[in-house]
Amino acid sequence: MTVGIRVLAVEDDERIRASVKLALEDEGWMVDEAASGEEAITLFGTHPADVVLIDIMLPGIDGFELCRTIRKSSNVPIVMVTARADTHDVVAGLEAGADDYLTKPFAPKELAARIRALLRRVRPSQPGHPKLIFGNLEIIPDEGKVLLDNHEVELTKTEFRLLCELANDPGGVFSRELLLDKVWGYGYFGDGRLVDVHIRRLRMKVEVDPANPAHVVTVRGLGYRLQS
Amino acid sequence: MTDIFTETSTPRYRLTRARRLIRTLVRRITPKRIGLRNRILLIFVAGALILSIVLASITYSFTRANLVEQRINTETNQALTNARRAQNDLILSPEEIALALDQAGNTHKLIFMQGQWSASSPQFLQDMIPDVLLERVQNQGRAALMIVDTPKGEAMIVGIPLPRVDALYFEFDNMREVRAALQSLQLALLIATVITTMVGVSLGLFASRRAVRPLANAAQAARAIADGRLETRLEPTDDPDMQALTSAFNDMVNTLQQRVERDARFTSDVSHELRSPLMTLAASVQVMESRRDELPERSQAALDLLSSDVLRFQGLVEDLLEISRFDAGAIRLVLEPLSLYEFMKQAVSVSSIPRTEIVCDDVDALVAIRGDKRRLARVIANLIDNARIHSGGKPKVVIQRAHNDEPPTHVWIIVEDDGDGLIEGEFDHIFERFSRGGAAGRRAGTEGAGLGLALAREHVALHRGRIWATNRTDGIRGARFIVELPIEIPTTTDESSA
Repeated sequence: MTVGIRVLAVEDDERIRASVKLALEDEGWMVDEAASGEEAITLFGTHPADVVLIDIMLPGIDGFELCRTIRKSSNVPIVMVTARADTHDVVAGLEAGADDYLTKPFAPKELAARIRALLRRVRPSQPGHPKLIFGNLEIIPDEGKVLLDNHEVELTKTEFRLLCELANDPGGVFSRELLLDKVWGYGYFGDGRLVDVHIRRLRMKVEVDPANPAHVVTVRGLGYRLQS
Repeated sequence: MTDIFTETSTPRYRLTRARRLIRTLVRRITPKRIGLRNRILLIFVAGALILSIVLASITYSFTRANLVEQRINTETNQALTNARRAQNDLILSPEEIALALDQAGNTHKLIFMQGQWSASSPQFLQDMIPDVLLERVQNQGRAALMIVDTPKGEAMIVGIPLPRVDALYFEFDNMREVRAALQSLQLALLIATVITTMVGVSLGLFASRRAVRPLANAAQAARAIADGRLETRLEPTDDPDMQALTSAFNDMVNTLQQRVERDARFTSDVSHELRSPLMTLAASVQVMESRRDELPERSQAALDLLSSDVLRFQGLVEDLLEISRFDAGAIRLVLEPLSLYEFMKQAVSVSSIPRTEIVCDDVDALVAIRGDKRRLARVIANLIDNARIHSGGKPKVVIQRAHNDEPPTHVWIIVEDDGDGLIEGEFDHIFERFSRGGAAGRRAGTEGAGLGLALAREHVALHRGRIWATNRTDGIRGARFIVELPIEIPTTTDESSA
């Protein structure tokens, strides 16, 4: 399933880049290297990758900016590399469009696991339900399409998988832990902010009024729920 | 009449004595033990007291002098009139002394005529007349006035010779009105003195509080700085007396902050710089490990050493970074409500001894806490690692309610081992950075850098908890680490969005 994956690694430290490339190639994947944001944008334009790995600390245009630039044209999963987990960097990176993050130094095995989780396919929808309809929101899992008021909405792969997980049990409450496990493959120690920021991003796209969500609603103290 | 007011010097004398007394008193109780505030207060109160006493005394003596003088004038005039009338009466009818006495109004009178005393009332008899006065009136033939002391207070006697009938006329005035007026004045002045002193007390309280406020502020700021809030400064002031203190204090804190930050930044920079090569090392070692089987035996052994030390190095750098964050005050906890038992299960499962037994005999101890789960898990993992390294035996985790905790506000997480236990006197020492304790030799140089317990203590403190170590008291040899954490009291407002 993950054979033939193309990873774009954006990292200004040449030695780290080389070692990560070696390790990921052991997984049987192809690794493109970029030493700067500018280089990454050019490379991504000619050789679209399946996953992008971005170090937040880049010379020139920084990781956040690169994230936003890539997001404008692509819904490719992005993993960012931060220095610390408890800073604002994590939330800022997720807001900029990253799907997951790792803190340096990380084990390449961990990176591979994260990438595999992000590239997991959407679980097949219930047979006989090619379309899931929540009021003015329509989800077509097999085509990877979401319509709001009959207009197609552009979701990233992770946002789409998050929405589909919620849609699999309409009205059911999903705790953050459950969503972390199902969408990101994290255990107990996963970072709940991943869910929170992605829910926020999702609301910006599938809600008419994101400040007063009608579909993706918060169940105080418990988690989130998708409703019509 | 000039010798009347000799006793007015008494209040002045009293005043100097009071002043001297206060000065001695102040000197006796001022030694260092009296604080600045009380000293200021004392000065205000003493000042107000002295000032009001002085003013009252001056007011009293002037008023008294005025009143007495007035009374003397009136009485003298009246006595002269009465005497003249009595003389006329006596000229007309020398036998009718009683009539002459009676005619002259309601004051007490005495007439000495032809060697005989006649009194208008028994309250004024001849033996009340001082010899000096009698002498002056009788022998010198001059009218005179004298203030005398009677049991009821001061009184005035006027003596007038009546030359035409060869008699002496004396009139007695008890000065009741003057005394009454002076009494009211005394009362009024006393009240005024009390009020002034009380005003002095309140002014003194106010002034002392104001005067001490900059010091209190400085003390508070110093405490805040000692607690690690290095950005604390004293507010600049226009008070020229305080400016020196304020600016010196702030300069000191600036210097201190710079030094602390420089130290913290150095540790942080070093650790950050170490991370990139570590990253390369870790990734490269992993690549080699996946080809371990292709390596000759000696290379395999070397690789194993390399990879285990890369891990250890990684742990050390992480710990150093975390410590430098503590020093910089840059830790931001990611807090969330955690079910204690579930959290402990998970924390133990990712520690180096995932099968560590968790015991909880008290259902009440199964509470929710609020914490940064990854950091708290590090605390548990560090304690388990510590137990493993030092005891080699199986550590055990016990969850129970804090002792003497009523109502329940805290919970205890206890990590026990069955090793050699701790050396008496090292219970605190082991939480210091890079402390290797008495058992350092047994560590065989494979694990940890001595930061684990120091970090645990910092983490627990950030969670407003405590951590301490003892030896086991249940008869088994071994160490016991107790983490005390506050119980999460459920609130209706949950700041997280889920």
